[in-house]
Amino acid sequence: MRREDLTARVMKDMDPELFNFLTTYVDSFVKWDLLRFFHENPHTMDTSENIARYTGRTAEDVQTELQDLARHGLLEEMPVDDMRVYMLKANPATRTLLQQFVKATQDREFRRKVIYHMVRQ
Amino acid sequence: MQNETRVTTGIPGLDAMLNGGFLPRTANLVEGAPGTGKSTLGMQYIYEGARRDEPGIILTFEEFPEQYYRDAASFGWDFRELERQNRLKIIMSSPEVTKADLEHVGGTIQNLIAEMGAQRMLIDSITHFEGLHQDPVKLRKLMYGYLNALKRQDLTMILTRESAHLFGEGLEGQLDASIQFLADTYIMLRYVEIESVVQRAIVALKMRGSAHDSTIRQYQIDAQGLKVLQPFEGREGVLSGAPKRMTDSFMKAFVRR
Repeated sequence: MRREDLTARVMKDMDPELFNFLTTYVDSFVKWDLLRFFHENPHTMDTSENIARYTGRTAEDVQTELQDLARHGLLEEMPVDDMRVYMLKANPATRTLLQQFVKATQDREFRRKVIYHMVRQ
Repeated sequence: MQNETRVTTGIPGLDAMLNGGFLPRTANLVEGAPGTGKSTLGMQYIYEGARRDEPGIILTFEEFPEQYYRDAASFGWDFRELERQNRLKIIMSSPEVTKADLEHVGGTIQNLIAEMGAQRMLIDSITHFEGLHQDPVKLRKLMYGYLNALKRQDLTMILTRESAHLFGEGLEGQLDASIQFLADTYIMLRYVEIESVVQRAIVALKMRGSAHDSTIRQYQIDAQGLKVLQPFEGREGVLSGAPKRMTDSFMKAFVRR
């Protein structure tokens, strides 16, 4: 079976919006942590070094992933003095999708699919 | 003496101590050891504001918003719902980022204050500012600018500050003298030991521009939050953490053994 066919079979019953969210934003465990962190603390406004401390990851790992999430439009990256500060985009549609994603990850089967997707990256 | 509307805390007994509440556009310091209820007092103040349609912001350093949602829920205050109603926002950030943000015209915090019509703020805690400067003079200037930037937004604030000592005065750290001077009100929360029982004491040591009750009172934290009770009677040296009966001191001072 070709790889695309297998992926299509694994993901076939996933909500298309969630599938789109997954493929757009979630390609590493650090990103998954960051998404959950911003969902639980939606008004966080801080540097990558501090967010790394809050999530218990290294500053290098977190910085790359924050930049990536900002590039894809989930986070805002703002210059504040000589710092780069990250916060969740205020757009309600984005926040709703994030909420749906985090809620969906409470389901074991959905989590397995997310892990399968990340491992393939 | 100013004759202004007061910003009520909603804490039974505390508003009476403060002659009706805080004066508007002031920075009010609540200092105490871990577990004395500084954050509870601050949350209760923010909740009272949300109830009165005076939206509030909690600015937290290091403490996760999740903790506030949970702690507030234990008192029956639904902070998540208040956030949905735009009557509360819990911002997690750091002193250096918020300082830089406030100094810019149209910064994120300023925009949020305007958008919500925020009138109250809890900063929990200012102890984290001590990491920004070793020099107490620079630290004082920094705090002065920071608090003025928030007062400019018409906010009435509670600032919490941690004391490492469980009992007694035990003031320490770079911010000690300066923050007490900069704050408009200085409220101290203390543990005191009386006959082998730990009790809690509250005193308003300072209230700029207003008369206030400076007696040392007991307080308790129950399912509804913090409540200020009656003064400690017949005791002295309460703030030392180990008060004595006044009669004992009288005997010691005046009666020869």
